[in-house]
Amino acid sequence: MTGTMAHTDTIVAIATPAGRGGVGIIRVSGGRAASIARLLVGKLPAPRLATFSNFLDADGSAIDQGIALFFPGPNSFTGEDVLELQGHGGPVVMDMLLNRVVQVGARIAGPGEFSQRAFLNDKIDLSQAEAIADLIDSGSQRAAKSAVNSLQGRFSEKIHELDERIIRLRIHVEAAIDFPEEEVDFLADELIHQALAEIEVAMAQTLAQTEQGAILREGVTLVFAGRPNAGKSSLMNYFSGRETSIVTSVAGTTRDVVKEDIHLDGVPLRLVDTAGLRDSVDLVEKEGIRRARQELGTADIILLLIDYSQHFEDWQAQAEALLAEVGHRDGAIVVLNKVDKRELEFIPTFTVPVFGISVTMLQGLAELKAHIQQAIGFDAQVEGNFIARSRHLDALRRANLAVIAGRQQLQTRQAGELLAEELRIAHEALNEITGEFSSDDLLGQIFSSFCIGK
Amino acid sequence: MDYPNRFDVIVVGGGHAGTEAALAAARMGVKTLLLTQNIETLGQMSCNPAIGGIGKSHLVKEIDALGGAMALAADRAGIHFRTLNARKGPAVRATRAQADRQLYKHAIRGFLENQPNLQLFQQSVDDLMVTGERVTGVVTSTGLRFLADAVVLTVGTFLGGIIHVGMQKQAGGRAGDAPSNRLAERLRELPFSVGRLKTGTPPRIDGKSVNYAGLEIQAGDTPRPVMSYMGSTADHPAQMNCYITHTNAQTHDIIRGGLDRSPLFTGEIDGIGPRYCPSIEDKVVRFADKDTHQIFIEPEGLNTHELYPNGISTSLPFDVQMELVRSIKGFENAHITRPGYAIEYDFFEPRELKSSLETRHLGGLFFAGQINGTTGYEEAAAQGLIAGINAANLSLEQAPYCPARNEAYIGVLIDDLITMGTKEPYRMFTSRAEYRLILRQDNADRRLTATGRALGLVSEPRWQRYLEKVEAIESRKLHLDKHWSHPGDEAMETLLGQALTREYKLSDLVKRPNVQIDGLLEAVGLDWADTEINDQIEIDLKYAGYIDRQQEEINRVLTQHSVSIPERFSYEGISGLSNEVRQKLEQVRPATIGQATRIAGVTPAAISLLLVFLKKARHSLDDQKSA
Repeated sequence: MTGTMAHTDTIVAIATPAGRGGVGIIRVSGGRAASIARLLVGKLPAPRLATFSNFLDADGSAIDQGIALFFPGPNSFTGEDVLELQGHGGPVVMDMLLNRVVQVGARIAGPGEFSQRAFLNDKIDLSQAEAIADLIDSGSQRAAKSAVNSLQGRFSEKIHELDERIIRLRIHVEAAIDFPEEEVDFLADELIHQALAEIEVAMAQTLAQTEQGAILREGVTLVFAGRPNAGKSSLMNYFSGRETSIVTSVAGTTRDVVKEDIHLDGVPLRLVDTAGLRDSVDLVEKEGIRRARQELGTADIILLLIDYSQHFEDWQAQAEALLAEVGHRDGAIVVLNKVDKRELEFIPTFTVPVFGISVTMLQGLAELKAHIQQAIGFDAQVEGNFIARSRHLDALRRANLAVIAGRQQLQTRQAGELLAEELRIAHEALNEITGEFSSDDLLGQIFSSFCIGK
Repeated sequence: MDYPNRFDVIVVGGGHAGTEAALAAARMGVKTLLLTQNIETLGQMSCNPAIGGIGKSHLVKEIDALGGAMALAADRAGIHFRTLNARKGPAVRATRAQADRQLYKHAIRGFLENQPNLQLFQQSVDDLMVTGERVTGVVTSTGLRFLADAVVLTVGTFLGGIIHVGMQKQAGGRAGDAPSNRLAERLRELPFSVGRLKTGTPPRIDGKSVNYAGLEIQAGDTPRPVMSYMGSTADHPAQMNCYITHTNAQTHDIIRGGLDRSPLFTGEIDGIGPRYCPSIEDKVVRFADKDTHQIFIEPEGLNTHELYPNGISTSLPFDVQMELVRSIKGFENAHITRPGYAIEYDFFEPRELKSSLETRHLGGLFFAGQINGTTGYEEAAAQGLIAGINAANLSLEQAPYCPARNEAYIGVLIDDLITMGTKEPYRMFTSRAEYRLILRQDNADRRLTATGRALGLVSEPRWQRYLEKVEAIESRKLHLDKHWSHPGDEAMETLLGQALTREYKLSDLVKRPNVQIDGLLEAVGLDWADTEINDQIEIDLKYAGYIDRQQEEINRVLTQHSVSIPERFSYEGISGLSNEVRQKLEQVRPATIGQATRIAGVTPAAISLLLVFLKKARHSLDDQKSA
């Protein structure tokens, strides 16, 4: 290729919002775009000409069919070789296509990375630097939020468990290498083989479950927040159609974070009912409140429930106080509940949208639901979670391959250093999900686990 | 008075950093002066009597490939050689030598005295001469002024040292030596940040009072490894044994009984000690379930009875030291020749250095060795070498030489120091090197000799030997690539333990895990001398997949990571950069994007932002120039 940054790696992203129907575009940029085209399209499409083709999976079957476009660098959007695959755009198909492209040598692009490359290759005016920076900044904030969303619950538990096991194994292997005179030579130990085999199995299981979507959540998080007894649990039960929260009229009944996954007209929606936000002396309740605050950080939509029958005069002050506790206004909606007990004459204006409802009398609920649907749409957040999930899957797959290779190296060659290398790669892949872990952190773990030092 | 001759480079301090620095600068052809407090202690091994070890011999062999002195001296002084990690793979294999202190010092002194362009002068340095933001020379304790283009300071042996034995403490450097306190005070007036570290030593023991009967003997290896690429076992003096003994339950009781008078546990010491080299009292307290710890008994030399019991570093009171030593098998009647002690000392924040080891605050001033927070002769020598090279480069108006992390352990060492700083005395480990499979001790010459030659560091004999080796490796590899083994080849099938089903290239057969090159050469009747060369071929072939993969990883990030960041680049104007990240970048002032990525807490998004604004800054700079 002829681009100015011939040695950068190849990136891929979904260029259209994820959702059903319409056209879905996958864009690839970098040195491997041409070879990826050959693998997926079967040939390199003529430059800048729309080519109708099947998009091929590894076994030669078609994942989708659509239009392939190839733009050789430097005459492309990014200045590098660019491949565009325009398919049917369903989330499952897009996911498969994306994974296929990653499998054959691309990595999922970071926030704003296509624009950044275009900028660095003089395809975008230098005066746009700030705009590109904003794109990177806001994009990475969204990505961070999506990553946290995707990392909720069982998936997170499993990944952290795998991470712990890899660390435990690495400190044994690395200690054996760096301190051979210290009676910590575990490489010959049968336990290492056993631990490796166990990790391999656990990883394969997690991978399979994740691929089947069993434990990885995606979608929009809807949080119900408010003072105790404002009706959060009742509203949540209305949405989910189930009795998940304990609904009683004693203030402070919801002591834990209650979650429910539903589909709202096809959009995966995760409902989170928080313990009432208030100061409490009850230990269990305090923990519930702490968790509630955590949930608020990752919420896409926050319904701030206020008992209008109690606060018909000072609901605005109440709303401001809740907003202050939540810490942000993004996606916040004020819901004035129990308007059957105290009539709301007209919907007042406020700094965030306001709705008046009564859960018991089923008033105003349809309007609220419609608003939520509109606010969610198939917006960036859905796509963000979708990409986050692909990223996590990709990292997990790489970690899995490295662990398998490491075990083979130990078995066939008794090569401690090659096992160590594969474990390093596996660990780095997992760290893309769990966060930084430096070689110095590893040494620290070694020194606190084993008595080392002459 | 002004000394009548002007020098290009002045090196202050004659330890392992100072001597390598002076030798390197002089080898590059610049007029060099080595200033030391005491010519008699040049190249002194002031702590344990050993060179090399895991991660450390990697450094020694790199210094050697760049024409340095340490490996050559170790071969002349080594009285016990071992290969560590022999079975764990070539990348983590290491060489360790016990050295006779006198022979080592003697060898280094010989190199210094015979080095053209190098002069020695004995006098302590009290002050730096500074003009604006540049160093112009040094002033000695008698007021003698020496002028030079560049000054390398390697005076870190326990600056502002306080020695602890039990509850007694006293000011002092390495037991017996005066620290360079006047100069240290002067440095503190300059804008350098100072930190404090701690380390310790074991009591030394008179070998005549030790009962060796029943102690485990640790002999040197046969065949005996050598340290230098130019060395041979013929350089080695007579060889000695080491011994191994252990602490026991009684030893641990004695230690626990003395903790109330241990400066480590009463809070007297606040410097941070190395995690990998804890005192014996630390080990007993932190790993209470272990009822015994190993002690390696290392001879200090051929002509002394003094022993170094490696593993019982301590700052307990002397009476407890005596009691604990005598509770150990073999030491029942031991006489202690020097008490063990802990020492606290100052170091200068290495994040204020450039990768050339020049200080960011004062142009022309270089720091190397313990002054930068490292421990170990090898780590000191490696920095000395680089500081000496770059002081000479500065004087010659050449670009600095800073090996990258994928080129040398020396690069890992310096990059770690200037990027992450250190909280404990920094020591090298192989796990610090992410490109460990490429950075082997067996290929340091193949990685660095050509660079060293270009810098003027590598002598003609070394260069010729290197060229011959590389030539032999290539021609033999070609031979293995062009010759085949066919079904029915009996010798080969015996070696493989199975019949050949088709013909195979010899080079492909070497790649098999169960095939060793020696056996293969024998099977095909090739009588190739020099196992060192054959080993290189075997490693190249067997590890090709991994080596290629690491190389790919390096190439993938190279373009982006080598983007340089101007020294005075302003991080203020970058929107989207968090305050935390900005502060970190301002503290370290990374020279390249690659270095920036390694600062803890600097996110990929921050790097993307940096790249965008660097491009913008570069462009507006170009505009100004052309306007």
